[in-house]
Amino acid sequence: MQAIINGIMLGGFYAAMMLGFSVIWGVMGVINLAHGEFVMVGAYLTWLMSDGAGIDPFVAILLVFPIMFVFGYVLQRVLINRIVDRPHLVALLVTFGLSIIMANAVKLRYTATPRLTDTALSGVWSPYGGVTIPRTKTGILVVALLIMAGLYLFLHRTKLGKSIRAAAQNKQAARIVGIDVNKIYAITFGICIAITGVAGALISSTQAVFPFMGPPLTLRAFTITALAGLGSIPGALMGGITLGLVESFIGIYVEGIGTNLAIVASFALLWVILVTRPQGLFGGLRPAEEPQPL
Amino acid sequence: MRKQRKLWVLMLVLAMVAAACGSDDTADTTSAPPAATTTTAAAGTDDTTTTTEAEMIPCSTSTPDGCAGTILLGAAVSETGRFSREGKDTRQGYGTWVDWLNEEYGGIKVGEDRYLVELIQYDDEGDADTAANLVERLITEDEVDFLLGPYSSGLTMGTSAIAERYDVLMVEGNGASETIFERGFQNIFAVLTPAGNYTQSAIKALADAGAETMVIAYEDTAFPTSVGAGAVKWAAEYGVEVLAEETYPLNVADVSAIMTKFRDLDPDIFVGGGHFNDALLFVRGAKEAGWTPKGMVITVGPSNPEFAAEVGVDANYIIGPTQWEASMSWSDEWFGTAAEFAARYEAKWGEKPSYQAAESTATGLALHLAIELAGSLDTDAVRQALRDLNVDTFYGPIDFDDTGKNAGKPMGAIQILDGATQVIAPAEASVADLVYPMPAWDER
Repeated sequence: MQAIINGIMLGGFYAAMMLGFSVIWGVMGVINLAHGEFVMVGAYLTWLMSDGAGIDPFVAILLVFPIMFVFGYVLQRVLINRIVDRPHLVALLVTFGLSIIMANAVKLRYTATPRLTDTALSGVWSPYGGVTIPRTKTGILVVALLIMAGLYLFLHRTKLGKSIRAAAQNKQAARIVGIDVNKIYAITFGICIAITGVAGALISSTQAVFPFMGPPLTLRAFTITALAGLGSIPGALMGGITLGLVESFIGIYVEGIGTNLAIVASFALLWVILVTRPQGLFGGLRPAEEPQPL
Repeated sequence: MRKQRKLWVLMLVLAMVAAACGSDDTADTTSAPPAATTTTAAAGTDDTTTTTEAEMIPCSTSTPDGCAGTILLGAAVSETGRFSREGKDTRQGYGTWVDWLNEEYGGIKVGEDRYLVELIQYDDEGDADTAANLVERLITEDEVDFLLGPYSSGLTMGTSAIAERYDVLMVEGNGASETIFERGFQNIFAVLTPAGNYTQSAIKALADAGAETMVIAYEDTAFPTSVGAGAVKWAAEYGVEVLAEETYPLNVADVSAIMTKFRDLDPDIFVGGGHFNDALLFVRGAKEAGWTPKGMVITVGPSNPEFAAEVGVDANYIIGPTQWEASMSWSDEWFGTAAEFAARYEAKWGEKPSYQAAESTATGLALHLAIELAGSLDTDAVRQALRDLNVDTFYGPIDFDDTGKNAGKPMGAIQILDGATQVIAPAEASVADLVYPMPAWDER
């Protein structure tokens, strides 16, 4: 029981954390290697608000979201837009460079000392029989679900969202029917970075925030994207929770080396998915037939 | 479709290689031009200032014609990457010694002559391969006379093998894993207490207070593994039963599975071996599992004053092994008492010294004293002098055994009480009484 709770909590966080990565890839075909660094920047923003003004991380989300949206929007207009139609390698190089710049800029400004934020939610509920529900992680799960539901509704119910999906499916056709693809890309990137920043805000109270926390998160986002399918929101949730449950069960029920073995298992799972269902568990935004510029 | 799939496979293989190596993506920057990763001279000061100082400052009044020369030292120490925090302490510790030596002491005495010291430091990015390459470069291209150690046992393992191959002495203060000293190397000397003894004072104090059962979790890398093995040994020694041992990988992001498992075993003490970030995870993890052990002993994190500052009230009552604290009673004729060293360090760097900083200064001091004892810069003479060295310093006694470990220094333990680190063991150095059992998380 505890393993299930831990797994779902972990999965909810994973899902929120990787969503932006997956959607950017799905819509623009850009693999964002600086993804973990955007989480880190969001976490630092939260820490600044929490440490400087005593704002609770869960409240800070409301501020982090618009700030990161503007950051993402501008970054797309200035930098990412230039690499959207270029070969994948260019995108990899540019975002990798970006990740180094961001990590080291934060280190120069705020030093490498690990930070942590405090939330009023901290603590546990113990409903019955030794099972505990960590309150902070429940909060994270709720926010993650809200974000996912919000994004899903946005993409499927609003005109702008439909334009984004149209641009993802066929850029030329979208242009022909009068959609400003560049603007759509900038908005998508802004939203994704905003969500990623919020994920950073969420984890700032459960784990150490430091300038070089990004790369393992990017790696994890990559894994879950493969598991879930590009840009698929239900896929992100299920992929995240699948991984969370696998890690949690193996971690709890294998003696001695459980936490280590869980990492092995998650990659083994990835191999299996890749061989049997290369489009991911739940498919995704981008149709598999579309040719990819390499 | 096929290209898409190819790309996926390529990326995933890359991702897995990166994960398997347990390294950051930043490791990929090893091929960057040297200038990009190079920082020279004492931490905080750049190359040019140190060189100018070396030329301007008279070595000593006793030698009329000034300095006989400059001793070139080299070290690969993390400035970026996962050890960037501890690496900063290490750099500042080295810098404290270099500046004191050149500006106040007037250079190392070798016979009648005085030698200033120049320290070349490169950023190893926390990556073992990078560190090894940089140390090789320090030896072959920069032609340093002696090496100082990097931060962490893992990096010391690799870099000391390079030093051994080229027969260059490496004195270090931040690689405590026993395995470093079990390879029969002749050129590695460490001023710090080895990892196996880290938890000794803490477990003894807890056993004396009535603890009977214990669980251990540690990262499966060199230093934490030695800490874990040592904790098992000391538990047996002091009659504490070990209920479970868990390992976890590098860069772990979640320890809730481990904490849940431990909670259900209900042991008296939790022992965690890892680095700074893991310490934060353990405290949050225990709280989220709704589990308050009677005592929590965690390496590296708690003894750093930043830990209590970041974790807040939850940090209270956590116990941490410490190589050194400013309140300890050690003293020497060079840096004065431990407290005087701390004041000097704080004036220079604007923050209190962690023990990593103190042991880094002591590393430089040990090499300095050995060179003076040898009266020569010859590697064999200095190696013998290091073995013969037996001094008390602000950092504690330094007395190297045949393997290069410091056999003279006992390990201390601190407990965080009201947000401040207080030495609670060993008895002769303690300034506060152990609080045991610790109060529940929500009763603080």
